[in-house]
Amino acid sequence: ADSAEEKTSQARPAERKVASFAGPEYWKAIQQGETGRTQSQAREANQLINVQGEEWRIWRNQWVTPAGAYAMGGTLAVLLIFYILVGQNKLDSPRTGNTVERWKRFDRALHWTVATLFIILAISGLTLLYGKFFLRAALGDSLWGNYAIACKLAHNYLGPLFVLGLLVMIIKWMKNNFFNSTDVKWFMQGGGMVGKAHPSAGYMNGGEKAWFWVLTTVGLVVCISGLVMDFPNFDQYRETMQQANLIHGAASLLLIAASFGHIYIGTAGTEGALEGMTNGHVDEAWAKQHHDLWYNEVKNKK
Amino acid sequence: MRLTKKSDQSAATSSTSGLGLSRRRFLQNSGIAAGGVATAGMMAPGMMQPAEAATAPTGAAIEIKRTICSHCSVGCGVYAEVQNGIWTGQEPAFDHPFNLGAHCAKGAALREHGHGDRRLKYPMKLVDGQWKKISWEQAIDEVGDKMLQVREESGPDSVYWLGSAKFSNEQAYLFRKYASLWGTNNVDHQARICHSTTVAGVANTWGYGAMTNSFNDIHFSKSIILIGANPAEAHPVSMQHILRAKERNKAHIICVDPRFTRTAAHANEYIRIRPGSDVAFVWGMLWHIFENGWEDKQFIQQRVYGMNEVREEVSKWTPDEVENVTGVTGEQMRRAAKELAENRPGTVIWCMGGTQHTTGNNNTRAYCILMLALGNMGKSGGGTNIFRGHDNVQGATDLGVLSHTLPGYYGLSDGAWAHWAKVWNVDLEWIQNRFDQNVYRKLKPINDQGIPVSRWIDGVLENKENIDQKDNLRVMVCWGHAVNSQTRGVEMKKAIEKLDTLVIVDPYPTHAAVMSDRKDGVYLLPACTQFETYGSVTASNRSLQWRDQVIEPLFESKPDHEIMNLFAKKLGFAEQLFKNIEIKNDQPVIEDITREFNKGMWTIGYTGQSPERMKLHQKNWHTFNYDTLIGEGGPISGEYYGMPWPCWGTAEQGHPGTPILYDTSKSVADGGLTFRARFGVEREGVNLLAENSFSKNSDIKDGYPEFSGKLLKKLGWWDDLTADEKAQAEGKNWKTDLSGGIQRVAIKHGCSPFGNAKARAVVWTFPDKVPLHREPLYTARRDLVSKYPTWDDAESIYRLPTLYKSIQDKDVSKEYPIVLTSGRLVEYEGGGEETRSNPWLAELQQEMFVEVNPVDANNIGFKDGDDVWVEGAEGGKVRVKALVTRRVDTGVVFMPFHFGGRFQGKDLTDKYPQGAAPYVTGEAANTATTYGYDPVTQMQETKVTLCRINKATA
Amino acid sequence: MARMKFLCDSKRCIECNGCVTACKNENEVEWGIQRRRVVTINDGEPGETSISVACMHCSDAPCMAVCPTDVFYQTEDGIVLHNKDGCIGCGYCLYACPFGAPQFPSDAAFGERGKMDKCTFCAGGPEEDNSPEEKAKYGSNRIAEGKLPMCAEMCSTKALLAGDAAEVSDIFRERVIYRGHNDGAWAQAPTMQKTGADLAYDATQSKA
Ligand SMILES: Nc1nc2c(c(=O)[nH]1)N[C@H]1C(S)=C(S)[C@@H](COP(=O)(O)OP(=O)(O)OC[C@H]3O[C@@H](n4cnc5c(=O)[nH]c(N)nc54)[C@H](O)[C@@H]3O)O[C@H]1N2
Ligand SMILES: Nc1nc2c(c(=O)[nH]1)N[C@H]1C(S)=C(S)[C@@H](COP(=O)(O)OP(=O)(O)OC[C@H]3O[C@@H](n4cnc5c(=O)[nH]c(N)nc54)[C@H](O)[C@@H]3O)O[C@H]1N2
Ligand code: HEM
Ligand code: HEM
Ligand code: SF4
Ligand code: SF4
Ligand code: SF4
Ligand code: SF4
Ligand code: SF4
Ligand SMILES: [Mo]
Repeated sequence: ADSAEEKTSQARPAERKVASFAGPEYWKAIQQGETGRTQSQAREANQLINVQGEEWRIWRNQWVTPAGAYAMGGTLAVLLIFYILVGQNKLDSPRTGNTVERWKRFDRALHWTVATLFIILAISGLTLLYGKFFLRAALGDSLWGNYAIACKLAHNYLGPLFVLGLLVMIIKWMKNNFFNSTDVKWFMQGGGMVGKAHPSAGYMNGGEKAWFWVLTTVGLVVCISGLVMDFPNFDQYRETMQQANLIHGAASLLLIAASFGHIYIGTAGTEGALEGMTNGHVDEAWAKQHHDLWYNEVKNKK
Repeated sequence: MRLTKKSDQSAATSSTSGLGLSRRRFLQNSGIAAGGVATAGMMAPGMMQPAEAATAPTGAAIEIKRTICSHCSVGCGVYAEVQNGIWTGQEPAFDHPFNLGAHCAKGAALREHGHGDRRLKYPMKLVDGQWKKISWEQAIDEVGDKMLQVREESGPDSVYWLGSAKFSNEQAYLFRKYASLWGTNNVDHQARICHSTTVAGVANTWGYGAMTNSFNDIHFSKSIILIGANPAEAHPVSMQHILRAKERNKAHIICVDPRFTRTAAHANEYIRIRPGSDVAFVWGMLWHIFENGWEDKQFIQQRVYGMNEVREEVSKWTPDEVENVTGVTGEQMRRAAKELAENRPGTVIWCMGGTQHTTGNNNTRAYCILMLALGNMGKSGGGTNIFRGHDNVQGATDLGVLSHTLPGYYGLSDGAWAHWAKVWNVDLEWIQNRFDQNVYRKLKPINDQGIPVSRWIDGVLENKENIDQKDNLRVMVCWGHAVNSQTRGVEMKKAIEKLDTLVIVDPYPTHAAVMSDRKDGVYLLPACTQFETYGSVTASNRSLQWRDQVIEPLFESKPDHEIMNLFAKKLGFAEQLFKNIEIKNDQPVIEDITREFNKGMWTIGYTGQSPERMKLHQKNWHTFNYDTLIGEGGPISGEYYGMPWPCWGTAEQGHPGTPILYDTSKSVADGGLTFRARFGVEREGVNLLAENSFSKNSDIKDGYPEFSGKLLKKLGWWDDLTADEKAQAEGKNWKTDLSGGIQRVAIKHGCSPFGNAKARAVVWTFPDKVPLHREPLYTARRDLVSKYPTWDDAESIYRLPTLYKSIQDKDVSKEYPIVLTSGRLVEYEGGGEETRSNPWLAELQQEMFVEVNPVDANNIGFKDGDDVWVEGAEGGKVRVKALVTRRVDTGVVFMPFHFGGRFQGKDLTDKYPQGAAPYVTGEAANTATTYGYDPVTQMQETKVTLCRINKATA
Repeated sequence: MARMKFLCDSKRCIECNGCVTACKNENEVEWGIQRRRVVTINDGEPGETSISVACMHCSDAPCMAVCPTDVFYQTEDGIVLHNKDGCIGCGYCLYACPFGAPQFPSDAAFGERGKMDKCTFCAGGPEEDNSPEEKAKYGSNRIAEGKLPMCAEMCSTKALLAGDAAEVSDIFRERVIYRGHNDGAWAQAPTMQKTGADLAYDATQSKA
């Protein structure tokens, strides 16, 4: 049979050309994402095989998802251990009863708006990433379904608000956060953990500045990648969306982990810190202890 | 592959049966508001309220209707599921012998006809540029009065009756009769601009101008040459059969086309030819066949006349010359010829690439000659498989919706009129007096070919002194025909504007309603589709199929035969028109019409297919063999599906139909046949009858002339007639004997009623006795014009002066250097109004385009997707999207012709009656096409003209 | 238990879009969504090949793996279905799907895509079989009626086959024998080929 076939293909070069085409090379080509023509108007419908799809799935499901869980879990664990071992950073001297204004009304409003949005976005985002592993079973299909829809709506509509808030925050607070030599020393003393004496700090200490800059950079990455996904109406390709998703996932998880640290320090970690952000005023004792240079500045001005 | 039905539950509910309800609306009516479901969709499972059905689902019974796809001539069977009068489902008819349940895009979207969202919903009239709803009474009254006034002033020939290949056989027949009783031959339909050159060329070669075999019979082909046919788009389900032959029978497929089509993609060999060079191509093939002695000498000797004259012409077509004219190398020609020679039986399939030319009649004859030379005719697996166009273009042609003949190709002679007057039971003289009595060029209008559809615009615009009738056309009736299918759009606009009145009888408004600047004098009458009525339809393979009525007419639409009745009453000849036909609720009874044409269609054997037999075939379509179409067991064992014509004699005689024309291996009684003796018995001393060739069981073992009462007597067979038959057969022949006795007796003796002759390779009654290559009127190859010039201008063909040489002599190839050809897309049909109004189809082709080779696009300076202007050689311009593709060669561009609703850059969407604009509009390709008509049939030239292309700016 | 599969014989597919419209007709999918599409490679040149593609009902479905709300489920027949009620329209299934099968009614700002729609193998959705709700949301449920997908049933050239994988591959194998060479059929994600047992393996493995 083979030789007969050979013969016919010799006799009919045209046929051989046409008939043998859909052979290995052809299938290879489409498996590599070769595009053709189609009457479908859907975007990228002319491509038979979405070659990046599998890559994306692997990256998302096998890297971002577990890595994010480790990052968040790890941070939480570290903080917990730290708290158990070291406990709260207490005020060295008792409260004076005198307060200094630290955060204006607008600043506080800004902080809490952005923080609230962040938390909602984090919870909703994490729901999208991890919810199905346990929430579905926990809540039951119906509740889970509605909750997921709420998360997605919240995430997609509040995301852009967060972007605005974050931008205002960055612009408004940037001037407080340029690093200087004081911060270098602050860091060298590990923010007070190395040695006994409190390192000096201005209005913002090195750690806070670091949080600010992490938020600024990684936050913007989260925002931009989020916006790319949130506005699919610009004919983005699947590949763009996939990349945005991976970046968004990785960056936001990093940020969430970092925020744990910030929140810890702002609450359980440091006695008296929260007051500044809640009522705007901090006790002089706290101010002296944590932000001596700033405290002196405020005193001198008076 | 069909699994067994597990449950019979269905979504059926009881609901008010409304008109034009879609299944979606049907569901809504059952209490599940779509809106409700949509909102509920935002909620998660469990949150969703259990559907509160206002009316509990009751499972309305599903009625299954058997119908036939109304798009193309393949004739695919369909099961329509109807619940409470609403078309709720479409199931594949796996047991239908043509399609085995399969459909192309159009057939798969048929159920949309039951929605008809964009249909014309009631009669309308254009008043001061606005569409006004009117009643049927008012419409018939006003239009009728106008017609009677024009008849009075200008004679009956000033009203043009453009009929349709969408009609059922009964409607088509009635329409021709109707025009005849109005008193005009100015009646025509799509076939003119479709396969008219086929019908003329083929009928003049061997008798009948139709597909000789069938789609199914292609299973037996060893080679298949497709010339100017793109079945993958135009007859998709036929590809099921073609590919079956390729796979099972190892058939070698050759596709000859200027474009690399989807069909070419499935061929073994693709041959790209220069548009308009078909005769040269075929002669080039024959050159190799004769050169190598591959022709079937015995077949030619016994059954072909005039091959030697062809040989002489062919000898001029040396490989070099062929390459020069067609662009095909000698090597490829030889290889293709050899494949055909070595793989017999083989079939030729041609379509519009061959027919739609000024030289169309030459092309079609050349294809026939190729098959004759190879001895492929009258054989299973062989034949000229001419794929017809519309679903019922074969039937409408057979039933004479044509300006040059009465039903059954009887022609327009006094004898023909006498025959039909007798069938109609109408006084011949009365009919004659309905016509204009003047004489033009020695002919009375009753005997003179009317103006063909391709030329109606000239009938309006031409100086009336030059037309062979009393006056110009003044009222135009487009009854199921979209005008954007005709060439010279810019002149057509003028013609429409010059008319007194334009009447459109169609389910859709069509391009005609919007393309002109008229402000009044246009009437739109909503016809219903073939799913809202019933009747028979003839597929390409000559099988007659019966359609059930699926649904009641939507909106205020009416079936065509009812509209004919309304007009006939108004115009005053209803009594004569319906002598033998009962009228029930204003509707002529379909079966009565079938029976009437059964009584008169002896020429082509439309006499055996009674309504009862057709219905029986339809009910038992599962009993026919997929390869041969023969009934195997069951109530109609031994008959061929649909009784492909000729189905000789009366229904009582029980002829099984003729599955393959001219097949001498079967007896005539079993569907065998010889070539028809149509052109005399002898010419210049040479015998025109067959020699030593006859059909199986023939009592005459040689050629013989056509049968008549006289011949029966001569043969001593007269007494085989019954007394009753004798009375009717006296002085009659096989075509005019209304008893069918002559046919019966001829067949009894194993003879073909129409005689047994040779096919003729030369047609001495045509402008070119031997088909000649002639350059198109608008050709880019000016160097070939002197050697292969067109004909001289003619003073009158089909009543009109017709230009050839004077057009070809003007060299416009510098200004218009690119060859423009046109054709089909699978999703749309014809002018496209119907299919562009079907959202399931429209979604697939949203933009009119022109195919251009990358080289031309780069030279001119535009890219894929750019807007370009295509300007035809007579100045008509269309603005379309560029599709840059290697499907076409350099110097050739292609446009689909299905778009309308735009004109020379202007969007006409808001000129449609509200809610009746199609989903997709686009420029009509024919706005840019040009002059050019076949001298035999007046086929328009839509496959070769010249154009230029520019990138459109803003 | 049957393992439902599609196979498109690219030697037969003529890009007639019959399958695409058959689906529209049967499932009344809205304008803009086509559950099936036909892609032609090398259009207009020798070697032009068309393939009709929809959801391939993957054995180890990537869409399922990425769906944040976990709305996908696989029937005993291997048909991959989803519950539109829980779909949040995130588009992840489309990003992951090897065949671009999931479709969305819109692509508006704030990720408003609506409920994902895709080929159901004409097997409806989670609602009661052939209930009006199921029909309105997912189209028809032919499988429950013992019928096969409409697109394949209506394919003009019988290029598109659907049904139990074993039966489908038998039909194709028979064709291959007739043709004398094994060429061109399209069944499954190339990424799934490794599983070996999959029909896709046969179909995309050309022995030339
Ligand atoms: N989808 C769809 N199907 C249809 C129809 C439809 O409108 N839409 N219409 C039906 C009707 S009415 C008809 S008549 C048939 C027609 O069916 P076809 O004739 O098969 O269709 P076309 O596309 O008009 O033309 C066929 C081919 O002729 C080629 N051609 C152009 N010029 C030449 C030439 O000079 N020589 C040769 N050899 N070839 C040439 C074209 O490139 C084209 O590919 O289709 C029927 N089926
Ligand atoms: N440039 C170019 N032009 C061409 C061709 C080409 O290849 N190129 N091809 C030519 C060919 S082959 C043909 S056949 C023609 C086709 O062209 P047309 O026949 O003009 O095209 P259709 O749009 O199919 O016209 C049929 C009309 O009948 C209507 N209709 C449907 N059903 C019914 C019914 O039951 N009753 C009534 N009264 N009306 C009904 C439809 O709505 C539609 O308007 O075009 C020709 N024109
Ligand atoms: C419940 C959670 C949070 C608490 C308790 C908290 C608490 C605080 C406090 C007490 C401060 C002031 C520190 C100071 O006065 O020196 C502060 C500053 C700040 N917080 Fe938070 N915070 C929370 C969440 C967030 C979140 C989610 C973000 C980011 C999106 C955020 C961003 C910031 C920024 C940018 C500053 C200023 C740091 C700088 O300018 O260097 N906080 N936070
Ligand atoms: C800063 C806090 C944010 C966090 C912690 C966060 C976190 C996440 C996480 C974890 C996911 C899921 C990723 C996955 O499943 O692969 C996600 C998805 C997404 N995020 Fe964010 N995100 C944040 C901000 C934003 C912003 C600012 C936007 C847009 C402006 C945004 C838009 C999106 C979008 C569009 C998705 C895809 C999900 C969907 O469309 O349903 N996110 N985010
Ligand atoms: S258009 Fe022709 S091929 Fe397509 S379904 Fe209808 S009859 Fe069949
Ligand atoms: S083809 Fe796409 S949508 Fe279908 S099961 Fe596979 S991954 Fe899911
Ligand atoms: S779009 Fe819907 S089905 Fe697709 S992954 Fe998102 S939630 Fe799941
Ligand atoms: S199986 Fe059904 S839903 Fe899927 S593409 Fe085919 S027709 Fe559409
Ligand atoms: S119906 Fe069949 S031949 Fe036509 S495009 Fe679909 S798969 Fe291909
Ligand atoms: Mo046609």
